Amino acid sequence: MAAINNMHDPKPEKQTNHRTRAALLSILPGLGQFYNKQFLKGATFFVVVVSYFLVNYDLFFKGAGAGPGDRGGIWGLITLGEVPGVRGDHSIFLMVEGIIALILLFFGIAIYVWNFIDAYRVGKLRDMQLDVPSLKMQLRNFKDNGFPYAMLVPAMVLAVFTVILPLIFTFLIAFTNYKFNNSPPAKLVEWIGIQNFLNIFQVDIFRDTFFAVLVWTLVWTIASTTGVIAIGIGLAVILNQKGLRGKRIFRSILILSWAVPAFITILIFRSMFNESFGVFNTTLLPALGLDQGFEWMTDPTYTRLALIGIQWWLGFPYIMTMTTGILQSIPEDLYEAATIDGATAGEKFRLITLPMILFATAPILITQYTFNFNNFNIIYLFNNGGPAVPAQSAGGTDILISWIYKLSLGSNPQYAFAAAITLVLSFFIMTLAVVQFRRSKSFKDEDMI
Amino acid sequence: MRKQNRINMALSYLILTIASIVILYPLLWVVGTSLNPGKSITSDMIPSNPTLSHYFDLFDPSKTDYSLWYMNTLKIAIITMVVSVALITLTGYIFSRYRFVGRKNSLILFLVLQMVPQFVAIIAIYVLLNMLDLFDTHLALILLYAGGAIPMNTYLAKGYFDTIPKELDEAARMDGAGHLRIFWQIILPLAKPMVAVIALFNFMAPFNDFILASLVLRSPEKQTLAVGLYNMVSEQFDNNFTLFAAGAVLSAVPIVLLFFMFQRYFVSGLTAGGTKG
Amino acid sequence: MEMKKFVAGLSVSVMAIGALAACGGGTDSDSSSKTSEKGSDKPEKIVIWEDTEKAETTKAVAKAFEEKEGVKVEVKEVKMTDQQKKVALDGPAGKGPDIMLLPHDQIGTVVDQGLIAELKEGEKALEPFIDTAKSAVTFDGKVYGYPKAVETPVLLFNKDMLKEAPASMDDLYKLSTDLKKDSKYGFLALWDNFYFAHGPIAGYGGYVFKDNGGKLDPSDIGLNNEGAVEGFDYIGKWYKEGLFPKGLIGGGGGQAMDQLFGEKKAASVMNGPWAVAGYKEKGINLGAAALPTLPNGEPIKTFVGVKTYAVSAFSENQEWAEKFLATLTNAENAQAMFEKYNEIPPVTALQEEAAIKDNEVAAAVFAQAKNGVPMPNIAEMGQVWEPMAAALQLVATGKQDGQKSADDAVKQIKQQIEANNQ
Repeated sequence: MAAINNMHDPKPEKQTNHRTRAALLSILPGLGQFYNKQFLKGATFFVVVVSYFLVNYDLFFKGAGAGPGDRGGIWGLITLGEVPGVRGDHSIFLMVEGIIALILLFFGIAIYVWNFIDAYRVGKLRDMQLDVPSLKMQLRNFKDNGFPYAMLVPAMVLAVFTVILPLIFTFLIAFTNYKFNNSPPAKLVEWIGIQNFLNIFQVDIFRDTFFAVLVWTLVWTIASTTGVIAIGIGLAVILNQKGLRGKRIFRSILILSWAVPAFITILIFRSMFNESFGVFNTTLLPALGLDQGFEWMTDPTYTRLALIGIQWWLGFPYIMTMTTGILQSIPEDLYEAATIDGATAGEKFRLITLPMILFATAPILITQYTFNFNNFNIIYLFNNGGPAVPAQSAGGTDILISWIYKLSLGSNPQYAFAAAITLVLSFFIMTLAVVQFRRSKSFKDEDMI
Repeated sequence: MRKQNRINMALSYLILTIASIVILYPLLWVVGTSLNPGKSITSDMIPSNPTLSHYFDLFDPSKTDYSLWYMNTLKIAIITMVVSVALITLTGYIFSRYRFVGRKNSLILFLVLQMVPQFVAIIAIYVLLNMLDLFDTHLALILLYAGGAIPMNTYLAKGYFDTIPKELDEAARMDGAGHLRIFWQIILPLAKPMVAVIALFNFMAPFNDFILASLVLRSPEKQTLAVGLYNMVSEQFDNNFTLFAAGAVLSAVPIVLLFFMFQRYFVSGLTAGGTKG
Repeated sequence: MEMKKFVAGLSVSVMAIGALAACGGGTDSDSSSKTSEKGSDKPEKIVIWEDTEKAETTKAVAKAFEEKEGVKVEVKEVKMTDQQKKVALDGPAGKGPDIMLLPHDQIGTVVDQGLIAELKEGEKALEPFIDTAKSAVTFDGKVYGYPKAVETPVLLFNKDMLKEAPASMDDLYKLSTDLKKDSKYGFLALWDNFYFAHGPIAGYGGYVFKDNGGKLDPSDIGLNNEGAVEGFDYIGKWYKEGLFPKGLIGGGGGQAMDQLFGEKKAASVMNGPWAVAGYKEKGINLGAAALPTLPNGEPIKTFVGVKTYAVSAFSENQEWAEKFLATLTNAENAQAMFEKYNEIPPVTALQEEAAIKDNEVAAAVFAQAKNGVPMPNIAEMGQVWEPMAAALQLVATGKQDGQKSADDAVKQIKQQIEANNQ
C-alpha cells in the first residue's frame, strides 16, 4: 500500500519507515541489513560484532591476566584493585589492561554504532524508493571508498598502541598516588585527583626546582635552536655563492656532524670536556693561554655553554641542507633586479634571501625549537643534567624532560608526580604546535571535511 | 666592486675552513683515540704507538659481544626502515590524496603526538608487550620504533606528496590503474628523495636509542649497539674509553656511507617535504 | 558512502581480533607456566639472577646442584643495580626470577614494596656468617637473604710509590702536598659521592639515621651535626688545596681516578675490592690496608655493604630456592667465588682460611669492616643519596661551605621523606 501512495506523494519517504525499523532491528547486529535484503553485509556485521565481543569479553570484564590475579578489564581501571599483595591485585597492571580494554571496547562500540547507521541509511534509501545497492555495486564501492580506510588501519593500530596508549596511561597516572614508596604489589595505588598538580606549586622543593628548570629549559631551547638556525643559514649562503670552489668537499665535511649518530658524538664530547683529561683543558685552552681550563662539568654556567655549543655543532647541517634547497629555488632575476637598483650584497641577503628562507622553512624551524625543548639525549648523555646546584632536586643543566626522566626512572621514582609534570610540559608544547599549525598555509589550504 | 668580491671570497673560504676544522676535530680525535693503546682518554690525537688491538678486541667474543650487538642493530635497523617506509609512505599518500572522515583531526593529532615524551609511560609499554608476549624481543623494539616514527614522518611524506600533481593520479586512473598500482608504480617512484630521507632517518633511529632498547630487551645476547657502547663508558669504574672509541668508529662508518649515498636526495627530499607549509 | 565506514570498521575489528587472539593466547600460556605442574614437590627449574660478568661460579654450582638434586637452576646475568626495578615489573608479570641479588641497603625498600619473601629458614640460615652480615640482611627482626659478599672501601696503594700504608690521614696529606709539586697525587677518593664520603663524615661524628639499639630512626638525621660539618670541611680541604684534581668530581670521577692510579700518577686511592682486578691488570704493584685514621684520631668509618641473595616474593619454589642458596653460599662455594671474582665471603669459617687470611685485600676489607657502619637498610635511605651527592659536590667545587650544604641536604632529605609518606 505504501508503494501505491508513493506515486502521488511529493515526499514519498514519509510513507514507509524502513529506516527506523532497520535501525531498531540492528540491535541484533546485522538484522537490520537482512531486513534491507543486504544479506552478505548483514552476515558480515553479525559475525564481526558478535565475534568481536565474544573474543574480547574476558578482556573487557574479567581481565587478560597480565598481572597476578584473574580480574581486570574496566573494573580494574575504575577501582585499581581491592586486595594488595603478591597474589592480589596489581594496580598498575590493572590500569594498563583497563586502558587497553577501553580502547578495544571503543572500537567494538564504533562498529556496533556503524551497524545502526548503515541499516538506517539503507532503510532511508528504500524509503525514498531508491535502489538498494546491488552486491556488485557494494563490492565496487568497497574497493573505491574503502581504500583509504583499509590502508590506514595498520599505521593507525600501531600508533594507537605505541603512542596513544602510553599517552592515556601518563594522563591517568598523574591523578594517582603512584610512587616508589607506594607501589604494588605491597600497596594499592589510588586515585587522588589533582593533588600532584598542586604539589608542583605547594611542596617547596618541587616548586623551586620546577621554576628553575623551566627557566633554563626556555633559555636552552632559544639559545641552542636560534644558534643552529643562524649557523645553518649562514653556512648555506656562503656555500651557495657563485664562483666558490670546493663546494662539494666543504658540504661533505660540514654534513659529517649530522651523519655520525648524535649518541656517539655526545659521548665523545663528554670525554673531550673532561676537566682533567679532556683535550679542551689539556691542549686547546692552554694553547690559547688559558692554562687552568674551565670547569666544564662542575660549574653550571660552563656546562650550559658547552651544551649549547655542542647542539650548534650537531644541529646546523640539517638547517644548512634545507636552506640550500630553498636558495636554489630563489629566482635569479630577483637578484638581478636588486643589483640594477644598486643593492649591496648585505641588502640582498637581508631583503631577499633571508625572508625567502624564513618564509619557506618556518614550520621546520618551529619543530627545531620543539625538538630542543625535548632534547633529552644531549642533556642526559653529556653530564646527566649535572652539576649539582643547591636546594633543588634537579641538576644545573636539567631541562624538563631530563628532570622527568630522573623523577620517573631515577633512584627513587615519583611516577605520578613525573606524569603530572609531563602533562604540564606537553600542554606547553602542544599549544605551541597547534597554534603554529593552524596558522600555517597548508592547513588553511586544506579543504575541510 | 671586484676587490670587494675578492675579500668576500677570501672571507668565505676562511669561514668554511674554520667550520670544517671544528667539525673534523672531534671526529679525528676519536679515530686517534681508538688507535691508542691502553684504556683511557688521552689528549694526543696522533698516537705515538698506534695499535689496532681495540678493533680486534671488539670482535673477540671473550672480550665483548660487539659483533652480536652489531648484527642485532643492523637487523633491527633494516626491518624498522622497511616497515616504517611502507607504513609512512602509504599513510602520507592517503592523507595527501584522499578525503575521509577524521582526516583533519588526525593530522592535528599527529602533530601533537610527536611532542609527548614516552618514557614516563614505559611501564604501560611493558604491560602491553607482556600481554602480547613480545617482551624482550626485537620485534617489540621494531614496532615501537616504527610506531613512534609514524606521526612525525607522515607529515614529511604528506608534504612531499602534496607537491606531486594530482593530475598524474587522475590520468592513471583513466587508464584503469587501481589505487595501489597508482601509488606503487607512478607516485612512489617520483617521491624517491623523500623515501630516501625517511628510510635513512628510520635506519639511524636504532643506532641512537639506548633508553627504549635497554628497557625492552633483557637478554644480553639481544642487546643493541647503543646500549652496549653506552655501558662501556657509563660505568663509574672500569671504563674502557679506547674500546668505546673503536666501537663508535665502526658503528658510525656505515651510517656515514649511507648518508653520503643518499646525500643528493636530501636537498629536494627535505625541502619539498618539510617546507610546504 | 556507508560502505567505506563499514570497511574501516571491518578491518579495525579484524586487526583488533588478531591482536586480541594473541593476548588471549598469551594469557593461557602465562598461567600454565606460572604454576609448576608437579606442585611443590620438585619444580621443573628455578631461575637465579646473577650479576653480569660474575656468573661462572654460580653456573658451576648450579650444574652440580642439578646433578645432585634433579632440579635445574637457570642462571641469568642481570646487572645487580638494575635487578630491583626489573623484578618490580617482571615479578608480577610472572617472568621474574626465583632468586635475585641486591645490595643489602635496598632490603627495606623491596620489603616495603613486597618484592622479596622472608626466608623460611629464618635465623638458622645465618649461622655460618659473620655478625655484620647477619645484621645487614635482617630487617624489622626478620631474615631476608643469604649474604654473598662483603665489601667496603679500603686503601689501595702502589707499593712502588708508597712502601707501606700510612697510619694517619695527616701522613697522607703531607705526602699529597709533597707530590703535588711533581703534578702527582698522594691520595685520591671520590668524596663527592656519599658512599665514599660517609667515611670521613661519620669519622668526625656524623650519622645518617640514629641507631637506637639496632633500630634506625629516620626522623633523627645526623648529617648536619657539628661532627658531620667538620667532616664536610675536611673533605672540602682536599679539593680546595688542589690535592684532588678537578676531573675527580662528577660522573667521570671513577674513570679519572682509575686512570691516574693506573698511570702511576697517584700513590693511593680509596676504593673497594671490585677495583683490584683492574688495577693489577694495569701492572700496579698493589698493596691494600685499612684506611688511615683521621686527624681527630678516629678511624674513617666507611659504609659496609653486603651483597645479598634474596628469594622473590613471586617465587613458587621458595624452599628449593633457599636450598640452592644454602649451597651456593656455603664455605666451599664462597671460597670459589672469592678465588674467581675477589668476592670477599662473609663466612665465619673462611676468615681463618689461609687463602683469605693471606690475601692482603681481603684482610684489609675485614679490618676496615670492623671500623665501618653497615649501610642503613631502611627504605628512607633511598632519599639520602642524591641530596648528599649534591651537597658534597658543592663543597668539593667550593661553591658553598660545609655548614650550608649540610643543612640544605638534610632539609631536602626530610622534605623528600615527608613527601613520600604523604
